[in-house]
Amino acid sequence: MGNLLAIARFEFGQRFKRISTHVYFVIFAALAALWMCMAGGVFRNASVSFGTEKVFINSPFALAQTVAVLGFLGVVIIAAVTGRSVQQDFEYQSFHFFFTSPIRKSDYFLGRYLAAIAICLYIFASVMVGIWIGTHWPGVEASRVGPWSLRAMVQPYLVNLLPNLIFLGGAFFGLAALTRRMMPVYVAGIIVLVGYLAATRLIADMDNRTIAALLDPIGSSAMSLMARYWTAAEKNTQMIPFRDELLWNRAIWTFIGLGIMAFCYARFSMSQFQSEGKGRKEDHASKGAKPASGTATIPSVTQDSSAAAYLRQLPGLVALYTRETVKNVYFLVIVFTGVFFIFVNATVIGSIYGTNTYPVTYQVLDFVSGLFSLFMLIVTAFYAGELVWRERDARVAQLTDSTPIPSWLPFIAKLLTLFAVQALMQVVVMVCGLLVQLFKGYTNFELNQYIYRLFALQLPSYWMIAALALFIHVVVNNKYLGHFLVVLYYIAEIAATAMGYNLRLYLYGEEPGVVYSDMNGYGHFIPAIRWFQSYWAMAALLLLIASLLLWVRGVDDGSKARLAIARARFTAPLKAITIAAALAFVALGGWIFYNTNVLNIYRTEFAQEELQAVYERQFKPLQAKPQPKITAVKVAVDVFPHEHRIRFKGTDTVANKSSEPISDVYVLLMETATIHELNASLGWKETEAHPELNWHQFKLSQPLQPGASMTVDFDLEYAPQGFANDGASKLVLDNGTFMNSIFLPHFGYAEAFELAQDSDRKKHGLAPKERMPDLDNVAARQRNYISYDGDWIDFDATVSTDADQIALAPGYLQREWTENGRRYFHYTMDRPILNFYAFLSARYEVKRDAWHPQGENVPIEIYYNKGHEYDLESMDQSVKDSLDYYTKNFSPYQHHQVRILEFPRYMQFAQSFPNTIPFSESIGFIAKVDPADPKDIDYPYYVTAHEVAHQWWAHQVIGAYTQGATLMSETLAQYSALMVMKKKYGDAKMKRFLKYELDNYLRSRGVERKKELPLYRVENQGYIHYRKGSLAMYELQDVIGEENVNRALANYIKKVAFQDPPYTISRELLAEFRAVTPEDKQYLIADLFESIVLFENRAIEASAKKVGDGWEVTFKVEAKKLKADEAGVQNEVPMDDWVDIGVLGKDDKPLFLEKRRIKSGQWTYTVRVSEEPKRAGIDPIDKLIDRRPEDNVVPVKTES
Amino acid sequence: MQLTISNMSKRYSNGVQALDNVSLSVAPGMFGLLGPNGAGKSTLMRTLATLQEADGGSAKLDDIDVLKDKDRVRRLLGYLPQDFGVYPKVSAEDMLDHFARLKGVTDSRQRKATVDALLERTNLAAVRKQKLGGFSGGMRQRFGIAQALIGNPRLIIVDEPTAGLDPEERVRFLNLLAGIGRDAVVILSTHIVDDVADLCPNFAIISKGRVQLTGSPAEAVTSIKGKIWRRAVPREELESIQKALPVISSRLQSGETVVRAFADHAPEGGFESVEPELEDVYFSVVTGHLNPAPLQAAA
Repeated sequence: MGNLLAIARFEFGQRFKRISTHVYFVIFAALAALWMCMAGGVFRNASVSFGTEKVFINSPFALAQTVAVLGFLGVVIIAAVTGRSVQQDFEYQSFHFFFTSPIRKSDYFLGRYLAAIAICLYIFASVMVGIWIGTHWPGVEASRVGPWSLRAMVQPYLVNLLPNLIFLGGAFFGLAALTRRMMPVYVAGIIVLVGYLAATRLIADMDNRTIAALLDPIGSSAMSLMARYWTAAEKNTQMIPFRDELLWNRAIWTFIGLGIMAFCYARFSMSQFQSEGKGRKEDHASKGAKPASGTATIPSVTQDSSAAAYLRQLPGLVALYTRETVKNVYFLVIVFTGVFFIFVNATVIGSIYGTNTYPVTYQVLDFVSGLFSLFMLIVTAFYAGELVWRERDARVAQLTDSTPIPSWLPFIAKLLTLFAVQALMQVVVMVCGLLVQLFKGYTNFELNQYIYRLFALQLPSYWMIAALALFIHVVVNNKYLGHFLVVLYYIAEIAATAMGYNLRLYLYGEEPGVVYSDMNGYGHFIPAIRWFQSYWAMAALLLLIASLLLWVRGVDDGSKARLAIARARFTAPLKAITIAAALAFVALGGWIFYNTNVLNIYRTEFAQEELQAVYERQFKPLQAKPQPKITAVKVAVDVFPHEHRIRFKGTDTVANKSSEPISDVYVLLMETATIHELNASLGWKETEAHPELNWHQFKLSQPLQPGASMTVDFDLEYAPQGFANDGASKLVLDNGTFMNSIFLPHFGYAEAFELAQDSDRKKHGLAPKERMPDLDNVAARQRNYISYDGDWIDFDATVSTDADQIALAPGYLQREWTENGRRYFHYTMDRPILNFYAFLSARYEVKRDAWHPQGENVPIEIYYNKGHEYDLESMDQSVKDSLDYYTKNFSPYQHHQVRILEFPRYMQFAQSFPNTIPFSESIGFIAKVDPADPKDIDYPYYVTAHEVAHQWWAHQVIGAYTQGATLMSETLAQYSALMVMKKKYGDAKMKRFLKYELDNYLRSRGVERKKELPLYRVENQGYIHYRKGSLAMYELQDVIGEENVNRALANYIKKVAFQDPPYTISRELLAEFRAVTPEDKQYLIADLFESIVLFENRAIEASAKKVGDGWEVTFKVEAKKLKADEAGVQNEVPMDDWVDIGVLGKDDKPLFLEKRRIKSGQWTYTVRVSEEPKRAGIDPIDKLIDRRPEDNVVPVKTES
Repeated sequence: MQLTISNMSKRYSNGVQALDNVSLSVAPGMFGLLGPNGAGKSTLMRTLATLQEADGGSAKLDDIDVLKDKDRVRRLLGYLPQDFGVYPKVSAEDMLDHFARLKGVTDSRQRKATVDALLERTNLAAVRKQKLGGFSGGMRQRFGIAQALIGNPRLIIVDEPTAGLDPEERVRFLNLLAGIGRDAVVILSTHIVDDVADLCPNFAIISKGRVQLTGSPAEAVTSIKGKIWRRAVPREELESIQKALPVISSRLQSGETVVRAFADHAPEGGFESVEPELEDVYFSVVTGHLNPAPLQAAA
């Protein structure tokens, strides 16, 4: 024991004296402080948030997260400190002294281990120091800092860091002791990293949550899981409870870590001298017998030391180095870890509502190469160092350096080796991708797509990183510093983008991204990428020349000597190449700058926000002025798919619907619109303009009188010039153009252009702002929430496109013709529609069907991309089922056609326009719904039903621009789709769907930025109007009956459909609900729509005994109801509600399910069931909003 | 071939003057470079082997400027560094073949013939397929000289090759060296006097970065004839004698401490004259008791 402490003390003292220890301390303190400053809003371009800005940056939750994140970065430090604390003895050969001294193995092993752990603890104590400094930094907003709590500061260390240290430190230390090398330690570190990343990915899938939480070696996923439904108020006050998944996670990993350490301890021997015994034996075997030396004369040879001769050696050398690298066990471990990571995650490729997509090539490629890119970076950084140091590490550098090889030979061979290794990794990616497809039973292998993406598109970018890594290693000429700088480069690039700096011209190796779409392929996005790649290739070439000049041959005599050598090596041909490369670099950079910053507008995020702020400051006062409203649109749209150009030429009819004359008209156009014509029939003159905003003010020659109309002729063109920082424009595509009415002229002040988030507004000196006008704001009822410059309009569009494409717009096709090699389509709408429409053009296949209710004929057309036939039947059926249900229960369908139009996956949504539903290729056209899998949800069917429902809920009933508006569109569309789905798939399947809705709602309310509102005041918040909306409407129909709900909706439609201003508000809908709700259930309307109610119901115990043929089940439950305020503070309220109690049998089959009126408190029920009961409790199939639904039932104990 | 080093100097960034105005003239044949640890031998060797820059001075191999025209030097060079490693998992044969390639032997038959001959010559033919990681110290040194001899080098630099070898291996290694072509310039740096005495017709003593003496071992020994005195001393007197007299070495011989001193006349206290050895020259020079200037002039 004395020895142990002496060893620990000595080691600790040694380490503590070392500068690196304190450097780590300072780095982590600085990181923590920086993190806090970002969270506290010090940097104008960047912010970190713990879910929402209402969570204090020093709240228990924030502290736990911060310590976990930094602790995660700290894995590197733990590896370095614990591994080195034993490996150093082998590296410096000092183990001889320790192993031969009279100390026990346990003293040495544990003493070193304890010292290393203590050092790590010291280093990580810096995190709290940094947090404290960060929160007190000038510029941190006082409102972001809450009260300090000692417990909250200590707990993350006890729960997170200390177990990690014991476990990781133990494993790392053990590995280093056993193998006497650092490499296994780093590889183990990579495996830990992968475990963490796999966990963070898996946890997104509801079904894998527990596994994911346990799988995460760092424990932060488990912590997130514990707090996943917490509101800001809870995050600010509660400690993360140390139980369930978190407790298990910590226990499991501590056990594993100690297990590895115990194993290594058992195998570790202080007397064993590795690898030397063998050599000695062979030595003796070959010694003695032979004469002193051979007598062979050495034949003379011809040496060819010409450059050409050495050039011929290049392939051989590359092959040699490559073989060495890939045969290396660590390389294999890293690659296999990557492969493992891919296959673990492959189960959830493209999952939506727990349902997979077909593993089409682009998706698998995105997925596999995305996951593998991390490993690519690791391997690149690592082997750049290994290759540069290859000879020196093996101590043969003096031998090879004094041979007559030219210096460029090993350098270029190493560069090519690194390139080859990267290419090999891409081959691994390709094989993984093909295997993933094969395992999923998908055999449409598109090898050309693989090869193009992996080798033609990605590999050149990886090569540029390889060149940089090599350059760094050569220049700094210190392996560890080199690794550190390469990693620093990776982090810096990510950080720059995160901090809002993203001008790719100045970020080495950066290029615009490209999204592959089955519809549009790589579109026209490749040339911009190639320009950037050429530009960076020239930079890489310059770096490589510099590396070649500075390549260390022989002894490194310091920078002066290296520069002198470099000058000598800088021969005339090399100079010429350098000058050429530099000129090309500058020229390409200039060309890119011309494209991104001259032809196109580049703005940082902050500058873009500032422009919006300028708009608001300058023009907001004009919002009160009456403006003309659009009453009719007649437009000719010319789409030029391959020129990526579109022209809108047409006439708006506008009317003065106000009571005063209008003499000034304000027009806001999209920034990139070119105006060829913009004239009013009354005549007008531009009096003011803001070119950057494309905002124009016109003075009419004579005022537009109340009730009077005029026409505005417009001719706008969108013709992108060159490419922008983000690549080519996505407006008009070779195949799959989708543009909506926002690209046409609009009149008046566009409130939607204002900065919405209070934090952004504050940065730009604007006062906080409500998201929507108050529910009782009468003025706001003069417009609907979709459009500010039109109510119901007449619509007529002629759309032309290339001869091989079909162009579409809302309305009915009147005529189709071809003229000058272009196809024209004339659509008219036979009744007024909302001032919201779209234009599409693509090479479509068309699936035609029709819906025939009582002799009518409503054509159904699905315009899709060839190859995307998978889900057409489901969509078609959904359209029919929806029309059946909605016409029967709500009102007649106002149009006589339904069209679904596929568009590329650059945008991922579906949107309902009159008789026209654009639908992204990624959210339904490649879904692989397995009807036999009870978990699979037919989401193409669901999305279609939802969008068809919008023909009623939005296109018949449209809410005023006030709070609660989306209750009448999104929530009711959600309800409608749910009912159609329920009819087809049954109640049980709905439960599965609602589970996702509940999870999404509960998680999202925890990250609400401003305030959670009850449904009737929803401010266009998706998690409320979709997710909570689904739950509330489903509960409502469950309690008062589907037919009553539908009766209320039908009545509501009768009253408000197609109404002119003032538009309807949510109170009117609730009144209809109240009218159909029995007296004893009236409370429900208030609970579901007018408040935020949650339950904490749970089952306490259940038992059953056999009585006759059946069982008598007795169970005790507790009922608890809570109300939350806008900030998420929850208080218990007395309960007196209708709630299910029930008994579940095998496979959760409900044996007994009845609504009972239950008050707060504990209650016991006894019921009879006919089959063997398994579980029993309150709200057993989770209909209510309950954050712990899993405790609603308990297993039934059967008494014999 | 004639190697001429003139006024070569080298100071490291930590202030150590590794070479101080070194001038040497080396003719073909074995040339011994003798000096204690840290004398600057390796720095000189590395500089001649093109692996390090000198601060000043020059070195010429016939008309080739060693410091500037490194490529030409490397084509003529065979170098065995003091401290080198091997790739543990590569066989001796493969490694030699690799070096032969690096030395520009492009013809594979020639390469094979050379490698075979070198393996035979260095008595490694039997272990040609064996991984280098399993080689003993002696085998490794022999492998080292084998790689140095690839391509008939005209300048062979062998830095401390016998350090750490057992006597048998050392003899074997010296024999090997002795067989190297007579027309090449072979510089053998060592701190073991016997290596030089056994092998080298010419040698230099280098100490504290300076060449203290050059010449042939025989001349050197002759020059101190009659000036070396020996006496056995009791242990307790050793210190005072070392202070009082020009003692150049003291060593244990059959349990007695025997000191040797350098003096023109017998020191007081029972010293007897002994026949000088090269080792006495070496110790006299490195202890500073022999002023080598006249000798240098003679050489």
